[in-house]
Amino acid sequence: MDSVDRRDFLLGLGAGGLVLAAGPAAAQATPAQGGTFSIGLQDSLDTLDPTFSIQFAERRILHLVYNTLVSIGTDFSVKPELAASWEIENDGLRYVFHLQDGVSFHDGTPFDAEAVKFNIEHRLDESVGSPQRSRLDPVIDSVEVIDPLTVAINLKTAYPGLLGDFADRAGFMISPAAVAKFGEDFGSNPVGTGAFTLTEWVRGTSVTLDRNPDYWEDGAPYLDRIVFQTIPNTIIGLQRLRVGELDYVDNLSPDDLRQIEGNDEIKTEAFPVGLWYSLQWQVDKAPFDDLKLRQAVAHALDRDRINQIMMNGQANVANSPTPPGLWWSTDAPYPYPYDPEKARALLAEAGLEGGALTLTTPSTPIYRRLNQLVAEQLGEVGLSVTLEPVESSQWYSRVVSKAVNFTPMSWSQRADPDGLFYILFSSKGHANTTGYNNPEVDALLDEARNLLSPEERKPLYTEAAELIVHDLPYVPLFFSASFAAMSQAVDGVILTPDSIPRFRYVSKSA
Amino acid sequence: MTAVTLRRITGLTLIAFVALAGIFAPWLSAFDPNASGYDILYPASAEHPFGTDDLGRDVFTRVLYGARISLVIGPAAALIVALIGIPIGLVAGYAHGRADQMIVQVIDLFIAIPAFVLALIVMAMIGASLPNLVFVLGLVMWPEMARLVRGQVKSVRERLYIEAADAIGCSRTRILARHIWPNIMHTIAAQLAITVSTAIFTAASLGFLGLGLPPPAADWGGMVQSGFDYLSLNPWLSIAPGCAVAMTVMGFYLLGRTID
Amino acid sequence: MLNFVLRRLMWVLPNIVLLTFLLFAVVTNWLGSPASMMLGTDASPEAVAELNARYGFDRPVVVQYLQWIGNAATGDFGRSYATRQPVAEMIGPAIPVTLELTFWTMLLAISATLVINSIPVGKHVVGALTTGISIVGVTVPNFLLGATLISIFSVSLGWLPTTGWRPWSDGIFTHLQHLILPVLTLSAYYFSTFSMIYRAEYRQVEQQLFVRVAEAKGISRRAVSFLHVLPNAILPLVVYIGTSIGNLVGGAVVTETVFSIPGLGRLFVSAIARYDFPVMLTMGMITLAGVMLMNLAAELILALLNPQIRL
Repeated sequence: MDSVDRRDFLLGLGAGGLVLAAGPAAAQATPAQGGTFSIGLQDSLDTLDPTFSIQFAERRILHLVYNTLVSIGTDFSVKPELAASWEIENDGLRYVFHLQDGVSFHDGTPFDAEAVKFNIEHRLDESVGSPQRSRLDPVIDSVEVIDPLTVAINLKTAYPGLLGDFADRAGFMISPAAVAKFGEDFGSNPVGTGAFTLTEWVRGTSVTLDRNPDYWEDGAPYLDRIVFQTIPNTIIGLQRLRVGELDYVDNLSPDDLRQIEGNDEIKTEAFPVGLWYSLQWQVDKAPFDDLKLRQAVAHALDRDRINQIMMNGQANVANSPTPPGLWWSTDAPYPYPYDPEKARALLAEAGLEGGALTLTTPSTPIYRRLNQLVAEQLGEVGLSVTLEPVESSQWYSRVVSKAVNFTPMSWSQRADPDGLFYILFSSKGHANTTGYNNPEVDALLDEARNLLSPEERKPLYTEAAELIVHDLPYVPLFFSASFAAMSQAVDGVILTPDSIPRFRYVSKSA
Repeated sequence: MTAVTLRRITGLTLIAFVALAGIFAPWLSAFDPNASGYDILYPASAEHPFGTDDLGRDVFTRVLYGARISLVIGPAAALIVALIGIPIGLVAGYAHGRADQMIVQVIDLFIAIPAFVLALIVMAMIGASLPNLVFVLGLVMWPEMARLVRGQVKSVRERLYIEAADAIGCSRTRILARHIWPNIMHTIAAQLAITVSTAIFTAASLGFLGLGLPPPAADWGGMVQSGFDYLSLNPWLSIAPGCAVAMTVMGFYLLGRTID
Repeated sequence: MLNFVLRRLMWVLPNIVLLTFLLFAVVTNWLGSPASMMLGTDASPEAVAELNARYGFDRPVVVQYLQWIGNAATGDFGRSYATRQPVAEMIGPAIPVTLELTFWTMLLAISATLVINSIPVGKHVVGALTTGISIVGVTVPNFLLGATLISIFSVSLGWLPTTGWRPWSDGIFTHLQHLILPVLTLSAYYFSTFSMIYRAEYRQVEQQLFVRVAEAKGISRRAVSFLHVLPNAILPLVVYIGTSIGNLVGGAVVTETVFSIPGLGRLFVSAIARYDFPVMLTMGMITLAGVMLMNLAAELILALLNPQIRL
């Protein structure tokens, strides 16, 4: 398919053993035209304005209504989208984007360099209050319009994660005219350049998107309509999939798959890279400022058992933040294998036998399950753990405000190691919510940030990962196994390693 | 046997059944209610009469232990209701004129607040724990008790013999204790049983909405909620604790309705 | 008459104001501040100060309340913290959903109550049966009934959709199909309480002289039941329905959650769970006002129907 065959800009030169399912759309010769595609959606949606979006589920709709400046392939390669090509100049301090010609927003206004400039400056504007500001502001110096189809972004500091960000929320291009028109209500009246336009949004029930007849990519979209229907849980999603009320349900655990075993009308597919599940704490605050306690907890956790119970053994136990198969993956052994005796000994050394901990528990079923297992296992080495429930929509903001000292966490992988390493483990990282501050790690990450070749960067990330795993700002647990189930009639769903399925090129045979 | 006796016996049997299940839980089941296992979401079997939950725990065992929690929550909440509601009701019922009217207005004001809505809000604000749950239930249920007690005291007072006792010069406390209390005791006992039943019902509903006791407590309402995701793999996960709630609530309700 | 209404309104309105103030104060100040709710109890002082200043929570509670109620009086309930939508726009679409759910529920519960409890044949059997059903109905939680109905009719038999709400525009059949299980679930409780009240009154009316006379005149038992006893036994039920309709939101909370119906109840629960104060407060006020006004209406009906009460 045209859009997939365009020039690929591979950041992952060393991409080794990672075997990823290619987008099914690529395999199909002539996609079927027309039809309605119904998707079961479990999570809540707050806004369809990418400037303010924080809910994970919003992104699957944003990718339909908008285009990103660049996009991520299933192998984490960065591909052109609204930017047809680009150059990185000045040792990574200047990015020049050449935009697609002939693209316009749903409201008819043209997408051009001015629109890109508006979008980035809108996110940087303090009075707008975009959550992306804290990430972009330290990096982006200025945006220059060179000609209507060329725009340059000058950075304050080298930042290899920039393209990854522009394939994500920061890269969704919204219509400046529509922002002026709708103001605060833009989130309910989204206007982008995407393959679909919002037709109706019944909050808490459904989101209906219709084909954009003027879409700029050849052929796409194939569907007439996409409907996201809210489902309260996966059982009901699968039930509705079986009777044909839905065409697609995801976020399925291995246990969920048992419900559709042997059904010929439904096919399943695994997400290529799972979420990185971990436990985190504040390493600069009692009691977790004591490395011995952190090590004791790490030794007390039987991660194989957790994998077995929660993921039917189908997840990968994590030995670092990086799953196997990416160019920056390492195979260093995990220094804290399951060893309850050692955990007890470490607790005794730290004088913390019989200690009591509070583990924050977001209301999501997977965290609720995980935390009960963690509490059980820590209980066996004499740490009594109380679970403190928090509504999941409140939870992350509490983590960010450092109001939570001990909590499970999950992160999706980014296209560049800087994406996750810098934000989580650098003392300057904007998502460093653990208070982790290791000057050695900082130096390694800063150095790796200013290099462009993966060969040079890899040893630095390897070293940083070893230090991080030793210091335990996070206890790595597993990379989840997550599945999508869909009707056999459906083709073209692309499961990317960032855990957000792309529906833009979906087609449905009658 | 009259219908009332039949109902009373049914009520007492249900309560006894639930209480015994809770008390003898460790003897009735070989499993630990909070111990995870590798048999995830198994359907009902001889080994696991209600199957297993999403952490491989035995559902039957958790339902048994859940009885302990419910039988603490219900009576404890009723105790708070009694401690707040009965004195206020007695004072209002015995007081004359303005004092009575003021108390009645306060009671009416509180009764106008839908109890379940108030419980939801307060529970979300103060966070879920056993003492908080009992406190909230007591807080939303006392006005009903106060109103009932006041009405009862008023009606008993109006009967002549108290006026007579008044005339003889008995102290108010003495009148309350010797003449009024014995006459209203039964009604209060009945209302307390109903209160226990409502408290367990409300606690389970809060649990179902995610505002019950934090995991891993074997909280019936919370168990129903977490089982909702797996109705097709093991419906007992939701239905067994739900039935336990219904049985307990019905037991106390029948008892309450048949006391006087 | 008008005098009576005015007098009662004079009593109800200040109470609504007082209760909403209490609600406001409890929610925003006494049980914890919005800042501590949104950021957690250990939040840094700067973060709390910033949030308080942004939403104006650093002012005295009375000032905050007056501003809020003043805006509310003009129809401006603020914007949701979670979705950034105007609160009125969130609540607006939820109202007809809950109203319709309640309409069908009441229709089913009331007609079932009146018909089943007025059937003269085999009075004892019907009596024992409805008493039994009533007891089950008031003691079985809605979530259990809902889970059981879903298990049987949706999961096992596949006859009905599991959950969700479809607008009329999706077709009348689809729309009504999605209503069957929630309406059944919700009516069970109402049918039970209505039956208890109605039966008690029915038995008393039955004993009255005019019923005996009608029977003696040879009018059929069915006609006596439905034409003579029913109209005279319905009054307490009407009053009770009046008072229970006021609490639409509370009644619908669990059922709407079970069946994921986008009505007021579910909106309320999700607002509470996310500490979405503008929505919480507005919903709380609507609920309180609804309850008090419906109580007033019930009182009025009672007064109109009962000549012994003078207006």
